[in-house]
Amino acid sequence: MLISGGRKNIIKRAKKQALDWLTGLLLILIIAGCTKNESLNAAGSTTVLPIVVLAAERFKALHGVNVIVNAGGSGVGINQLGEGKIAIGMISRNISDAEIKRYPNVNFVVHSIGKDAVVPVVSSEIYDAGIKSLSLRQIGKIYLGEITSWKQLGGPDKDILVIDKEKSRGTRHVFMEIVLGDKEVSAPGADLVLGDNNEEQTAVMQSDSAIGMLSNAWLNSDVKGLSIILQNGSTVEPKLENISNGRFPITRDLLLVTSGEPAGNIKAFIDFILSDEGQKIVRDSGYVSLEQ
Amino acid sequence: MKGKKLSVIPVMSAWSNRIGRAYILISTLISAIIILLIALVLFIYSWEAISQQRADLFTSIWNPAAGQFGILAMLYGSLMVTVIALAIAIPLGLATALFTSEMLGVRYRFHVKFLLELLAGIPSVLYGLIGVAFFSVWLGDLFDLQSGRTILTAGILLAIMVLPTIITLGDDALHNVPRQYREAAQGLGLYPHEVIIHIVLPLAKTDIAGAVLLALGRALGETMAVMLVIGGIDKIPPSLVNIMVPGQTITSKLGREIEETAFASMHFSALIFMGLALLVMVLALTAIAQHYFRPGLRLYE
Repeated sequence: MLISGGRKNIIKRAKKQALDWLTGLLLILIIAGCTKNESLNAAGSTTVLPIVVLAAERFKALHGVNVIVNAGGSGVGINQLGEGKIAIGMISRNISDAEIKRYPNVNFVVHSIGKDAVVPVVSSEIYDAGIKSLSLRQIGKIYLGEITSWKQLGGPDKDILVIDKEKSRGTRHVFMEIVLGDKEVSAPGADLVLGDNNEEQTAVMQSDSAIGMLSNAWLNSDVKGLSIILQNGSTVEPKLENISNGRFPITRDLLLVTSGEPAGNIKAFIDFILSDEGQKIVRDSGYVSLEQ
Repeated sequence: MKGKKLSVIPVMSAWSNRIGRAYILISTLISAIIILLIALVLFIYSWEAISQQRADLFTSIWNPAAGQFGILAMLYGSLMVTVIALAIAIPLGLATALFTSEMLGVRYRFHVKFLLELLAGIPSVLYGLIGVAFFSVWLGDLFDLQSGRTILTAGILLAIMVLPTIITLGDDALHNVPRQYREAAQGLGLYPHEVIIHIVLPLAKTDIAGAVLLALGRALGETMAVMLVIGGIDKIPPSLVNIMVPGQTITSKLGREIEETAFASMHFSALIFMGLALLVMVLALTAIAQHYFRPGLRLYE
């Protein structure tokens, strides 16, 4: 009697515990399922990221819809959209033919939300030593490894630390397309190959002899943007007005990309970025808005 | 109360014995299947690269846009950082283990070990951040390098990361050597250093090898910290022993590129092949080490 009573109790307790666990699990699943309906995923270019992050905050306050934003680079944005993992890809370059071919079932639709320039940047030490402008040819030769010292360009007697970016990065596509004529060109002169804008910016800051490529919004007192010497001999500074009037040679559109024409929350979010409030965010992030 | 407990346990134990047995067997089976599945999946997805690229995989040019997938630069980087890490961490770690096990009082040993094990639990991304923000800059200044992001930087950072593993397991290995061996040696009139060199170290050899093996596995597989400080360029330096240049390891390459590739493309397949190469390397080194340091060689249990 005593024995079976003990067993019953234990079994009863185990049953109750199992039931509690199951109920808890079910609740979590239900909650997770509910929130999923009210959220959008975006990923890709770290150049477009600051705009979308700020816009996502405002959009949530206005419409109560969560936009989850991740980095990764333009290539990641396109791949994840192609594989259906995200609703909005952020890209700062055009989609390549290879990428379109890679996802034959996806109809990529791009939405321009602003403009930016890719600026050749140098460490402030080099800028202060007198290298304030270079021609595209000179920059190209640096990346090809034909120019290896700042002395060859009239600067200090220091080897150039050539910082390249990962091949699928939007900034690199745009930069190399203009500088060397091929967006996926190899750069045998490169010393470091880094990823996003922050990583590139840090490396240029830490060095006293570096050259790199950055979005215009990432320039600061340690990372100086070079003016570009055009073929007719005039120089163009990397300034917002030169980007909006198209004089600066390396400009690009900042894009959001969706799979097919956007609808519902996706459309609402893109429309928000295109609205006056959204375009102000674009300007505040250091880029050129569409009307400018 | 006491009587009740006693009467319940024997009946329950027949059941719980069966349940416990089944639970343990199923757990073992699941673990084994997971390991096999990983190897199988790696092999299946790297097959496209293996069958189409063949020997081209073992060249030194990696350029997916042009269909070139040579993994030598990454293979070199992985081996190099691991060799550097172990070359620094083994002597340093063993000396520290000797100190904690042979020289430190039992009470302090406990506290020191506790701190060391805390150190082993620091997430690798923190090491990476410290490495890229301070350490690589110091190293660059110290050796007057163009950039402090080098194979050496990654190697030293890895050495620091695997050090707690070697120290704490090395300390266990030394501590497990039974007292009677030391006492006998002391009784023969040996000096403490002679006891350590001729008695304790040879006896603890197998377990120390195990500690080193675990450290090696971590060094080869570490991704985040290495990725942040190594510079990310797929180049083998012209002089193979020049370690103060940027490089790339298999893991840092995978970390940087796997998300940019389309699932099941040749690029993806080649990256997975690198993962497979890493797995084979770890397995081979483990097998070799286990062959040379068989547990059977141990004189005590």
